[in-house]
Amino acid sequence: MRHLRWLLIPILVVPLGWLLFTGFGRDPRAIASPLIGQAAPTWTIATLDGATLGTDELSGRPYIVNFWASWCIPACVDEHPVLASAHETYGDDLVVVGVLYQDAPADAEGFLARYGDAGYDNLVDAGGRLAIEYGVTGPPETFFVDANGIVRDKQFGPLTDALMAQRLASIGVGR
Amino acid sequence: MKGWLPAVALGALLALGALVVILALRPGPLATPEERADALAAELRCPDCQGLSVADSPTQSAIEIRRQINELVVAGASDGEVRAHFVARYGEWIRLAPSSAAPWLIPFAFVATAATALTIWLVRRRPPPLRVPARISPGERARIHAEADALDG
Repeated sequence: MRHLRWLLIPILVVPLGWLLFTGFGRDPRAIASPLIGQAAPTWTIATLDGATLGTDELSGRPYIVNFWASWCIPACVDEHPVLASAHETYGDDLVVVGVLYQDAPADAEGFLARYGDAGYDNLVDAGGRLAIEYGVTGPPETFFVDANGIVRDKQFGPLTDALMAQRLASIGVGR
Repeated sequence: MKGWLPAVALGALLALGALVVILALRPGPLATPEERADALAAELRCPDCQGLSVADSPTQSAIEIRRQINELVVAGASDGEVRAHFVARYGEWIRLAPSSAAPWLIPFAFVATAATALTIWLVRRRPPPLRVPARISPGERARIHAEADALDG
């Protein structure tokens, strides 16, 4: 009985320590998206260059939706060449769509002038409605939608070339 | 085994009492759409803040979520439908309070366990009853008398 009493200490302390260790080790905003496996949100939104783009124009093609901001430094700066490279590499097989997350269009244009404009469309998300539709908690976040319009994957945080290749495989691009 | 019963009963009573107090203090149904929208905004986590509700945050996302809550409430959505609208986008994470009843029971389980442990400790702490031998030998009796006399001086 006396030995059992001493056993109580590790029985209580170890799970508590494990909970704290795993809890502090991850970003609380890195949440699993309930959209994965579901139909992607539909939208028609103005782009940075004054045109409009809608999901109906993307039907039948896989696409990625990248939420970013000019103030999101260094993460958005780091992943910018990865997105540009994917846009150039896959051409018509993949549509890359950027979405300004709580950012002024002029600031976003300044960012593109500084770090390079790969030529894909960037949406001006007035009021942050599209970000809410996708359940975004902070940039950069990227959603991968297959040719059937189903969300297959989500990247929380900056994309690297390896992560991009891995996520694109989930929507049948680059295999 | 019988010594545990009062302890368990006390722990259960304490937990039950706390539950009754919490249920009694729970706010009643909200009347106006504005009150409902405010209450729902207070339940939802601001997506781009640290530990603030949508009701307490001035960010663009919080403002837009409050606008959508108002819109849904005015359109006749129930509280459950409004919550489900945001849970479908953010998952259960968007809710500041858990939807399952199980996490609410954890504090009561802790109180009951602590009360049980405390009672057991208090019960066991009582000194054991004095054991007096049934018979005292004549020699022992003589020694007791001698010591009592010595004490009397």
